[in-house]
This record gives sequence, structure tokens and C-alpha cells, in this order.
Amino acid sequence: MMKRDKKEEEEGGANPFYNLEKSSVLQEARTFNETPINTRKCCHILTKILYLINQGEHIGTMEATETFFAMTKLFQSKDLTLRRMVYLCIKEMAYIAEDVIIVTSCLTKDMTGREDQFRAPAIRALCRITDTTMLQSIERYMKQAIVDKVHSVSSAALTSSLHLAKTSPDVVKRWVNEAQEAVNSDNIMVQHHALGLLYHIRKNDKLAVTKLVNKYTRHSLKSPYAYCLLIRIACKLLEEDNAGPMFEFIESCLRHKSEMVIYEAAHAIVNMKNTTAKELAPAVSVLQLFCSSPKPTLRFAAVRTLNKVAMKHPAAVTACNLDLENLITDVNRSIATLAITTLLKTGSESSVDRLMKQISSFMSEISDEFKIVVVQAIRSLCLKFPRKHSIMMTFLSSMLRDEGGFEYKRAIVDTIIGILEENSEAKEAGLAHLCEFIEDCEHTVLATRILHLLGKEGPRTPQPAKYIRFIYNRVILEDAPVRAAAVSALAKFGAHCDELLPSIMVLLQRVQLDMDDEVRDRATFYLNILAQHQKALNSAFILNSLQVSIVGLERALHHYTMEPTETPFDLKSVPLATQPLQELSKPIMEASSGPKSTEKAAASRQDVYAEQLASVPELANLGPLFKSSSLPVELTESETEYMVRCIKHTFPHHLVFQFDCTNTLNDQVLENVTVQMENTDDFEVIRSVPAASLVYEKPGTTYTLVRLPEDPTQVTTTFTCTLKFIVKDCDPNTGEADEEGYEDEYVLEDLEVTVSDHVQKVVKPNFAASWEEVGASNELEDTYALASMKSIDEAVKSIIQFMGLQACERSDKVPDDKSSHTLYLAGVFRGGHDVLVRAKLAFSEGVTMQITVRSTDAYASEVLASAVG
Amino acid sequence: MGFLSAFASWLGMKKKDVNVVVLGLDNSGKTTIITKLKPAEARTQDIVPTVGFNVEKFQTKALAFTAFDMSGQGRYRNLWEHYYRECHGVIFVIDSSDKLRMMVAKDELTLMLENADIKMKRIPILFFANKMDVRDSLSSVKCSNMLELEKIRDKPWHICNSNALTGEGLEEGINWLTDQVKDILTQKKK
Repeated sequence: MMKRDKKEEEEGGANPFYNLEKSSVLQEARTFNETPINTRKCCHILTKILYLINQGEHIGTMEATETFFAMTKLFQSKDLTLRRMVYLCIKEMAYIAEDVIIVTSCLTKDMTGREDQFRAPAIRALCRITDTTMLQSIERYMKQAIVDKVHSVSSAALTSSLHLAKTSPDVVKRWVNEAQEAVNSDNIMVQHHALGLLYHIRKNDKLAVTKLVNKYTRHSLKSPYAYCLLIRIACKLLEEDNAGPMFEFIESCLRHKSEMVIYEAAHAIVNMKNTTAKELAPAVSVLQLFCSSPKPTLRFAAVRTLNKVAMKHPAAVTACNLDLENLITDVNRSIATLAITTLLKTGSESSVDRLMKQISSFMSEISDEFKIVVVQAIRSLCLKFPRKHSIMMTFLSSMLRDEGGFEYKRAIVDTIIGILEENSEAKEAGLAHLCEFIEDCEHTVLATRILHLLGKEGPRTPQPAKYIRFIYNRVILEDAPVRAAAVSALAKFGAHCDELLPSIMVLLQRVQLDMDDEVRDRATFYLNILAQHQKALNSAFILNSLQVSIVGLERALHHYTMEPTETPFDLKSVPLATQPLQELSKPIMEASSGPKSTEKAAASRQDVYAEQLASVPELANLGPLFKSSSLPVELTESETEYMVRCIKHTFPHHLVFQFDCTNTLNDQVLENVTVQMENTDDFEVIRSVPAASLVYEKPGTTYTLVRLPEDPTQVTTTFTCTLKFIVKDCDPNTGEADEEGYEDEYVLEDLEVTVSDHVQKVVKPNFAASWEEVGASNELEDTYALASMKSIDEAVKSIIQFMGLQACERSDKVPDDKSSHTLYLAGVFRGGHDVLVRAKLAFSEGVTMQITVRSTDAYASEVLASAVG
Repeated sequence: MGFLSAFASWLGMKKKDVNVVVLGLDNSGKTTIITKLKPAEARTQDIVPTVGFNVEKFQTKALAFTAFDMSGQGRYRNLWEHYYRECHGVIFVIDSSDKLRMMVAKDELTLMLENADIKMKRIPILFFANKMDVRDSLSSVKCSNMLELEKIRDKPWHICNSNALTGEGLEEGINWLTDQVKDILTQKKK
């Protein structure tokens, strides 16, 4: 016997349905037509059908209908098991087979019949097959079933009503009286379901929901489930507006006798958007009690919630530290992990060592998901206590060496990279760990990423030579993408460190014999550039990467190939990549998946604008779009009659102002809407493109085209703006407008054009090289005293904002304790001229700044140098 | 089949199970007739238009009938055919007071007789000219003329007047059907 079992297991025979075939099962289903019915056999076949459907097997409409009708014949059997199998099958096949309403009468009979075992499942099956048109005919039975004295029937009717409400809300709404009666049931499940239905019916009527909650908070419900639901409803109400009694109710639930309700209330309070520490305290103390509960589920729930709270209010959780410490040794690993990570978030610097030791003792026993939680906790810890980085680094590197999936490894690599970017002291240790990791790394994505990082950071360390071996090993051992990345990294060492150049040249010459095209191409390219020994070339083609937006480049190249011309392709006509780095550095710390999406969205945003503008005929032929301002400027107060926001688009010789207008009056239609702009300087308004009509709450867009002055140094000005339009009154309900209208205008706030509108941010990964590349030919230098600035940090922020340039080399982060700082800024001026700014700042009762501007264009230097003034 | 039931059928105690389909236009009284045929304690009180079909069981002296009581409404009539294959007999109910729709009933009857599952089989068809209590209702002879029942030659058929509300005439019809089905079953055995 034992032997046979073992053999079956090996064949995967533990599952008797393992080798089922659809066609043979459907063939078998013909047995249903036989008389008399073989109950046991039919049950077995129904099980097989259910199994097939649940495995995702596709059953055609014809086959399904045939099987379904055969199955309907089983209604002649009174066998309990068989009938319930039939109900299940009806529900599964309801959307596959045709004419399933054929069983309506049978099910109606069962649901009103004497056999209680049939009634609840019959209701569920019936509601599944019924559509809105048929619902009328069973409405009477449903109403009766909701208030039925058998609990299972009542519950089934209530939950089925909830499902029906999705398709035919109007019919279900009529059952509100029955639902109300069912809430008074003494069965806990019926009460819960009835309250759910009642809430669902009234969901859109806020006043009614408030009344509902008020009513049931006063006379207490019996069912803890219903209580939990009530807490959730109350929470939703609280989210919409702060109603005092709701919060009191939730707080009072903390003293309920059921643990479920207490937890739900605590969970609700903790998850509210803006809770004060005082409101939080009772909830946290309840969770604290749960931490020492004998039930593992309660402990898990409590520690998980505390873990979440620790992100927002670490101080509030500190009180529970003692209880959490006890949980570290919990037999349940999930509880222990969560407890430790919570402690890591709340703990003090002194306890870090002990906790890390504790984690490493059972790191091998927990699953990857929890390991990632631990890694993230370590990351936030490193930001909090930068001095502890050496312990963390050793810990992370030992984790890197362990077994683990891709997600896990990526989380670790992300964390290490994050730490060494934030903390320059950790840089060398971190790079060493990563070097060791790529020696044996099966994930191409991670390997290429680390190689890129090595190329960027390695050359600037005291001993760049020691990384060469690790990188060149990759060229010998790995597959093509990694080899290519390694070649790029090698070239960067060659470009940056003169003493290594000869050896790098030798290595690259060897790579020229590589089998892969891409690797060989890269090697040849880099070798030839390095052979020139020119700093400018090195900087432009090796150390700094492509500055244009990839999407834009693709489109421009496609355009160029479609219309062949004599002139060579000009890279300057491609829009530059917008660098959302400022916003980007924050999400990196919180979640590793976040920044990717924002980067992608921001990169294509400008391309979207370019496409929009190109579709307006009046604005064609302005040349390539140079820059669009990132945040729209509000030209009206919010919540006024008309809302206008402006986005500035910069072209080589023109500015286009895009006004997004919204009409918030439902009894007016605006037509022929334009924005009239006037100014005193040499900016010339050429034309405006009106928005044909503005209907209530539907945004419209009008454009105004302005030519820039001849004098290239004149870039800033102020426009006074007026919204002009024809008003027509209209019926708020139908939206039909009167024939007659009258002209009107609306004064908007002034619109400023600043230097930053003419400059696009660009990242220069190697600022020093670029600085040499541009050269001193157009250098301007000046010194300013910025008396109003309170700190260097503040000065740095406002300079960046004013000039609209990108801070390089992480120079926008000012160390706390220093009284002087050098800020490096890079960008491209309108027309495609590189601009680099070096600002030396010193603090002593106000900030003194010495600014040096270099540019490929003399006027650009002048504009930038005078920008701060 | 368990041992006990096998033993019972050997003794001839257990009645033979047979399937019949109950057809006819809507509001002709199919469900009412079937309900009347059931024992008094198993009857349901209110009778509403059938949606789809109902399965009912009733017994006569010699046979245990399982009746598939089909819905007569227009949109469900095309679903009748799914139940022809396994049936031993057909009960066709006519509303004898509804002269206007007699032609519709005839069309449905022809359609049924043309069906592949019915056409080749020799199965008895019992017609009930129902609602004989209504004034101006047609007699069974008139009904059979209007439906041209004499054209059915390959199947045994029988028509009788009935009043499902009181149960009048039902017994006569069902007894005929029982005899016919029994004959066919015994012929098959030989």
C-alpha cells in the first residue's frame, strides 16, 4: 500500500483530476440524460466539469449550452448532494452557456420550497442567472427571502442582492425596508450582511449614510462583523469631512468587548490621514495589549499595524518598544520579522547593533518577501543614522552572498547604491561589496547597473586601479550586455585617470576581438576617442551621456528619414530630456519601484506638449520646442468664476503661452475666449488662438504667440493679462445657450517671464570634465552679497529655482556643519548653448556668493550672470 | 441501483420510471394540470407563469411519471427541443377557449413533430383540450379538426376535454397515456 502511494505521488497522481480532458468530460455529461439517474456518477461528472472550469479551460458556447441543458435534467433527482452540485455548476456556467434562464422556475421552486438545505444555494444560483429584465419576476420572492427566519436563507438573499445591485441598482433599492428589518435580526451574519446592503443602497446619499451610522451607533448592534462594517463606514465619512461624533464612536469601539471590533477601531484610527498624537495614543495602547495576546493572529495584526504606524509616527510607537522586543523571539517568524523592522524604525542609535545581530540569526529562515521588508527597514535606518553605515554594509553584503530571488537582490543593491550616494564615507566600502557581488551575479540587469555605477564613481576614488580587475573580469566571463556595460565603464576610467590610460588602451584593444557586435563597436569607438587625448572629446562622448529625450530623438529621426534633405541631421533640434531629478531623489528612499514611473512620465510630458502644439496650425513653423514650464502658473484665485492656468512654451525665437481655462458657472457658456496680453518691453504679441467655446466644467485651451526681442540679453519681462470672451446665458440643466450674448472681460494676474524659462536642466555626471570642455572663452565672474538668506541651504535652493539649472555632483545637498559650499549647475540655454555655473557660497551673517558662468555663447553667459541680482 | 430497489423491482413492486414533456402555449394550463396530478399534500398554492421549466413527479397505478413542465411563453418555446430526446411521451395542452391562437398552437405542434428526436420515434401524444368549463370553449372534436390531428399517422394520439381546476377529464387522459407507454415498453422488451 505504501509503495503504491509513493508511486502515485511521483506521477503527480495525488490529484485524481490531473489528466482530465475537456472533450471526454463533456461526452460523459450525456449521462445526465439517462433515466433513472445514477446519482453518484452524475456528482462525479459535475465535479470534473467544475474542476475544468476552475482550471481556466475554455468551453465553447455550443458545448456549454448542450452540457447545461443535460444538467437541467438532474433537477428530477431529490438527492441533496447532487442538487447542490447542480447549483454550483449553474453558477459557474451562467456566463458560458446560453439560455440559462431555463432553470429560473426550478430555482424559484427550490428557494420557496420546504427543503431548507436547497433554499440558500438556490437563491445564489438564481441571482447569478437573472438579468435586469427578469429580475421583476423574482422580486417578490427575494423580498420574502430577505426577511426569512432561516438565517442562511436571509444571508444568501442579502449577499445576492449586493451582487445584483451592480447590474440593476434601481430594483434593489426598493428592498430597503426588508433590509432594514433584517438588520434587527439576532443572527450575527444576517445583521452584518443586512447592514452592508443597507449601506450600499444609500451609499451615494451622504446625509442618509450619516443618519444610518448615527442610528446604529446609538442602539448597539449585536454582531461584531456589523460593528466592523460600521467603523469602516464611519471612517469614510470622516475622510470626507471631519465630523466629531464619528470619531468619538470609533474611539468608543476601542472599549468594545469583541477583539475584532477593537482591532478594527484601532486600525481605523491609525490609518486616518491626519491624526494627532493624542488621538493615536489610545489606539496604539490597544495594539500594545494585543502584542502580548496568546493568539498569534492578534499578535500578527497588532505588530503589522504598528509597523505601518512607525513610518508616519515613530514617536507614538516608541511606547510599545518593550512589547515589541519580546516579540523578536516569537515562534512565528512573520511576527518576529515585523517586530524587528518596527523596532529598527523606532529604535535609538544604540540599539541598532543588537537588533542587527538578532535579525542575522534567523535571516535564512524567512521568506524573500519579508527579507525585502527587512532590507527596506535597513535603508531607512541608514538615512537616519548615517554613522552606522559600516554595520549595515557588512550586513547587506552578507545578505548579498546568501541565496535569494531577483526582487530580493535588487532591493539590496538598490539600498547599497542609495547608501553610497547619500553618504560619501560609505562609498569605498559599498563599491567593494558591489564588486564582490558582480563576481558571481546571475542577474544581467543588476550587473549592468553596478558596472555603470562603477564607471561613474570608481575613477574618482583614491585608488581607481583596484576596480579595473573586477570590471575586466566581466569582459572575459559574462554574456554580451554585461560585457558592453563593462567596456563603457573601462572607457570612463581611461578618460578620467591619465595614469591608467595606457593600460585601458591595451585592454580595449583586446576587446576589439570580441564576438559580439555591440561590444566590439563600443571598444573601437572608445579606443579612437581616447587616442585623441582631448579633454573636450572625452567629456562629451565618454563621461557625459546623451542629453536629449529618447522619445524625442526617435521621433525626430523618424521625421528626418521620412523627408530626405541635403542638410545633415541636427541633434540640437531634438528636445532635451527633462530631468525630474529634484522630485526623484525623495521617492527613491521610500520605494524602489516608485521613481521609474515618474521618470518615464516626466520624460514624455514635453513630447506630449510638442505634439499638442504642432497640431495647432497657427503655431506651426516655430521650430523645435525648447522647453515647457513644468508647473502651470495659476492666474486666478482658486474657486472663482473662471479658472485660468498658464504653461509657458519656449521656442528658439518665440514664446507660446498656453492658457487652460475652466468655466465654473453652470448657467453660462463662454465663446471666442482669448487672453489679451500687454507689456512695455520689446516683446511683441503676434497673434492669439481663441478657444471656440467654454462649457461648464469642460476645460478649453487658448494660445498666445509672442515674439522675443531682437536683443538677446533681454529675456525677462512681465505681461498684464485679461481674459476676453462673449458670454451667453444658458439653462443649467439642459446646457442650451441663448442666441444673444454680450462681450465681457475678466482681469487675470500678471504673468512673469524669467530666466529659468529660457534654460533647460541638463545633468552633467562629470561636471569638471564639462567645465574644461566649454572652456574659459565666454567666462564671466561676479560677486554678490545675498543678505536676505538665512543659510547656505536656503541660498542654494533659491539659486537653483531662479536660474532653472540642474545641480550636478549632488552639490545641491549642503552638509550641515560647513560654512562654505560650492554649487555646480548645468543647463542648456535657448538655442542650444551649453551653460555651466559654478557658485562659491560662504556664510557669515548672510550669504556671499561668487558666481562664475561659462557658456558656448557669450550672450547666454551675460544673461545667466545677471540673473541673480 | 441498490440491492433493495433491485429486489423490489424483481418483485414487480417498484413502478417503472418514465419521462414525459408537457408542452403547449402560454396560459393553457400546463402547470395547473401537473399540480392537480400530484398528491394533495405536495401541491403548491399559487401558480405563476413558468420561466424555463419545472420538474414534477406524480404516480399512476402502474408508472412513476417525471414530468418536464415547459414554459409556454414565446421566448422559451425554442428550448423545448432540449427535452425531447429522453422522453417516453408528450402531453400537449390546448387552451380550448382561445380560438385566436389555435393556429399558433398548430404551428408549434407541427414544429415539434418535425423534430428529429420525435419524428423517428413511436411515442404517444396526449392532447388535453383544457378549460372546458369556460363558456364558448371548443369541444375536443373541434379542436382536433382545427389542429388537423388526423394527419398524425405514425404515433398513437388521444384527445380529451379537461378542466384542470376541478381535475375533470385528467384521469381519463393519464390512464390512456399510462397504457400506451406500458405497451411500448413491453414491446421494446420483446
